[in-house]
Amino acid sequence: LIINLRKIQEACCYEPTSTKKNQKQEDFEESDFNEEVGRCAIRVLTVKKSEPVGDRIVRFLGLFLKHASEKVQPEDVDTTDALPETPASRLTSHILSILLPLLTVRDKTVRFRVTQIIAHIVNTLDSIDDELFQLVRLGLLKRLRDKEANIRVQAVIGLGRLADGGEADEDDEDSDDEVAGGILEKLLDVLQNDPSAEVRRSLLLNLPFTPGTLPYLLERARDLDAATRRALYSRLLPALGDFRHLSLTHREKLLRWGLRDRDENVRKATARLFRERWIEDCAISQKAAEEEAPPQGQVSAPRFEALLELLERIDVVNSGVEGGIAFEAMKELWDGRPDYVDFITFDDDFWNDLTPESAFVARTFNDYCREAEGNKLQDMVEDKMPVVTAFAFFVQKHLNVLIDDVRKVALQDQDDADAEEDTVQQEFCVEQLLHIAMTLDYTDEVGRRQMFSIMRGALALAELPEECTKLVVDVLRTVCGVNAAGEREFCDIVLEAVAEVHDTILGEDPTQEDADESFHSARSELSDELTPTKAKKNQKRGKDEDSSEIDEEKAIREIMVNMKCLHIAQCMLQNVQCDLEENNILVTMLNNLVVPAVRSNEAPIRERGLLCLGLCCLLSKNLASENMTLFLHCFTKGHDTLQIIAVQILTDTLITHPSLLAPPLAAQDASTHDPSPINPLLKPLTKTFLRALASPSPSLPLTACLAVAKLLLLGLLPAASSMEILKALTIAYFNPETAENPALRQALTYFLPVFCHSRLSNAALMSQIAVSVIGKLVVMREEAEEEEEEMVGWTVVAGMIAEWTDGRKVVGGELCIKDPGERKDGAEEPHVLLATEILERALGAGCNKDERKPLLTLLSKLNIPSTNSPDSKYQAVSQEAFQTLHSLVAEAVETKLAIDATTRNALTKLDTALSKRTGESDK
Amino acid sequence: TTTPTKRKEKEPFELDFLAPLSQPVADALYTPATTNSTISMPKTQWKSKTRNLLPDDKHFNSRQLLRLFLKPKARMGSRKARNGAQQAKPPTEEVDEAYWANAESNPDPMAPGDEGVEG
Repeated sequence: LIINLRKIQEACCYEPTSTKKNQKQEDFEESDFNEEVGRCAIRVLTVKKSEPVGDRIVRFLGLFLKHASEKVQPEDVDTTDALPETPASRLTSHILSILLPLLTVRDKTVRFRVTQIIAHIVNTLDSIDDELFQLVRLGLLKRLRDKEANIRVQAVIGLGRLADGGEADEDDEDSDDEVAGGILEKLLDVLQNDPSAEVRRSLLLNLPFTPGTLPYLLERARDLDAATRRALYSRLLPALGDFRHLSLTHREKLLRWGLRDRDENVRKATARLFRERWIEDCAISQKAAEEEAPPQGQVSAPRFEALLELLERIDVVNSGVEGGIAFEAMKELWDGRPDYVDFITFDDDFWNDLTPESAFVARTFNDYCREAEGNKLQDMVEDKMPVVTAFAFFVQKHLNVLIDDVRKVALQDQDDADAEEDTVQQEFCVEQLLHIAMTLDYTDEVGRRQMFSIMRGALALAELPEECTKLVVDVLRTVCGVNAAGEREFCDIVLEAVAEVHDTILGEDPTQEDADESFHSARSELSDELTPTKAKKNQKRGKDEDSSEIDEEKAIREIMVNMKCLHIAQCMLQNVQCDLEENNILVTMLNNLVVPAVRSNEAPIRERGLLCLGLCCLLSKNLASENMTLFLHCFTKGHDTLQIIAVQILTDTLITHPSLLAPPLAAQDASTHDPSPINPLLKPLTKTFLRALASPSPSLPLTACLAVAKLLLLGLLPAASSMEILKALTIAYFNPETAENPALRQALTYFLPVFCHSRLSNAALMSQIAVSVIGKLVVMREEAEEEEEEMVGWTVVAGMIAEWTDGRKVVGGELCIKDPGERKDGAEEPHVLLATEILERALGAGCNKDERKPLLTLLSKLNIPSTNSPDSKYQAVSQEAFQTLHSLVAEAVETKLAIDATTRNALTKLDTALSKRTGESDK
Repeated sequence: TTTPTKRKEKEPFELDFLAPLSQPVADALYTPATTNSTISMPKTQWKSKTRNLLPDDKHFNSRQLLRLFLKPKARMGSRKARNGAQQAKPPTEEVDEAYWANAESNPDPMAPGDEGVEG
């Protein structure tokens, strides 16, 4: 009676032969057979999804139908138009018409199997009866909105094929195109909106690749679900064919998103895609250009041209700047392609004919090997790189080319896009060389001197672009050696160069300008005599314009000189650590260059001047304390950029000179007069940070957040200020408005738990502000509701605050969680404190229901165990706190403060726990 | 051939193709859903505000808290080491609470740091 799996298979084996029999003999029992198969198909429908046998039978059925219809095809090739009816097609139609009505039954297992079989048939067969096709399409489209995700997956699998089929027929039949278009549109909508990642993922892998669908597919690189993102990188993109068909922006974005994904597997899949597929695409075409077609499925041998093309295709001039994605990509390539690491060599020709791509290859190879652990790669890079003297020669050569280019571009009247492009590329090459120069070994004195004089010379050139200038200064710092004498020499040399730059621009030009002017006026005089008076008037007016133009030009030139000099000074100061007052030349620079700049009326000059002044303050505490009020003033009066700079300077200065915030000395002695001496800087400082955090600009709050995060984590601010700032940060974290500032949110996501869990006192600080934070959030939520903004639920808020204030999670308290008997001194304190604060507020008269609810939700999440710590010292400390809390809880229970069962239970539990503890200690 | 290869089954699942449909099975097969909505996804889930995409990742890096704004190369607190290791490499891993707990345990003696915070 009962047939086991094997027999099912045998029974199934029987069927194909029977069909053949039917076909051959034109047996009258064909309809019987169809009935039989249909009957069997129905049996499968109740097989649960988890049962592999079900899937197997479905596959068998599909395979069988396919086989059956293929058997027939050859005989009917001549009948072109209408599809011929065959036993196989009749059987298919029969099964489909049995199944279609079942698509909407209530039982989800049946719906799943029906959808699965239909999808499978659609995918295995080439053609379906037209009428049924419409029904299938409609039926599957309905299932696209099924309650069950796995049914939607099957619908997607079926429809993906239908959308594809339509696309292929596009040329022949317009009607089909429309149908497919309709399906495609719906599917793309589902791809974006379906809540189930599984549905999105199978759709991603089942949709046809067309220019129309591509953007939707690639968008999944940022899908919420990591597995879907990985599927894109590890399956879709490799299957997509040559990456060069993608647009440049797509390539860059895909690389950036993939290589910086938070999920390691996505990163790995992307790295593999880059170093195995993309490079291969380049290698194959490079090879094809020279040789015969490459053997299929084999990795091409390393090829320098392929590497260059790959870099060109990811636009290395833009993606290879500092912080660009090309760095990570190349690091992965070197890491995963040892064949390339071995293969690459740099001969003199290489260094002579640099392109941005080849320079980048050298630079990333150099970085990769020097950062690698183990001597093998270190030795290898030493072997492959030229010696310092030779390298210095190449740097000089390319620097010269760059300066020539810059001069040429400057002389051109019209914009010459080509020349400018060349300059950009050459600039990029030089930058790469300078980066390499910073890593070289300068123990060879000849090479060191050579590099030194080249850098010194380059720095004095006004034409040197900014990024190169910065790098040249950095190289100089390396070349000068790390000790104090080296630093002094470094300062001298750089400031000499500053003076030279100053002279070259201001020195040569005014005289030239004067000469021009006199020549000009002489000529006007001459023309005056020849022309009537009317022209004379014109001429005069023209002359005025000329001179004002010249003044303007002069002013612009002065600004440029100042900017350039300040920039060099800034780069230098970033590399200096000595005491400012001990270095005369720095003091001179401060007075002659920086101070006038800070007073300048030109915003960019003032900004740079301020930056330099800030850097100087890091080198001198006296200077810092003199200028704190100036920085505060800049924040109050300044525009956006200046405000950011001011916040940065203030923070850096405080970190470097924490004693600036110490209470005034006098007050420390006379503690009787003023019990809490306060540093006069504190109040304006706190206000500044709070204002910056609340600024509507997107970048200022982020800077401020990072600034106070440093100060708070280092414990540099006293409690009162810390509390105010922490409160502002916590509110900002929950504020729906900051959702538009993800950088700020992400910084806070890091900061809040880390701050609270790094110290018990920090967790306690959070306990102290939590109640007023909730008060603020209640108001905020009302406003958010009015504006229909979304805000996180109270359970989430309460959960987070409870976690932040959980003393057991503070560093050193880990044991408390594993073993409840274990206690850390004071680990309970934050929660006890918070519970007390909550009840004081909730029992107060001013607390309405809206506020009480979240407060009590939070209370129920706190952990206050009913057993005392074995450590008697600890008990003594907080016994009083326990008693206070206990009386509050008792009052809460009495007055029936609780609003629902959960909070009521929480209160009762707390009450019993506390009775036990306070009672215990009474004994 | 069209037959799938025979495989050994750990736990043979039995499916009787010959037996007549039992009542519960027939019920399951032929009870249509009362309304379309009982088997469909609620309309509210049809559209996702975010298109199920991640928010823009700003790649907050906790190591940036160890650097000065103005002198990104210098590590905080390294100013005392005047002669030398200015460019001491910052830790490569994430900076966690344990790092700060240690960083705080020896703050600058002049810092008014944590007074009163204990309260």
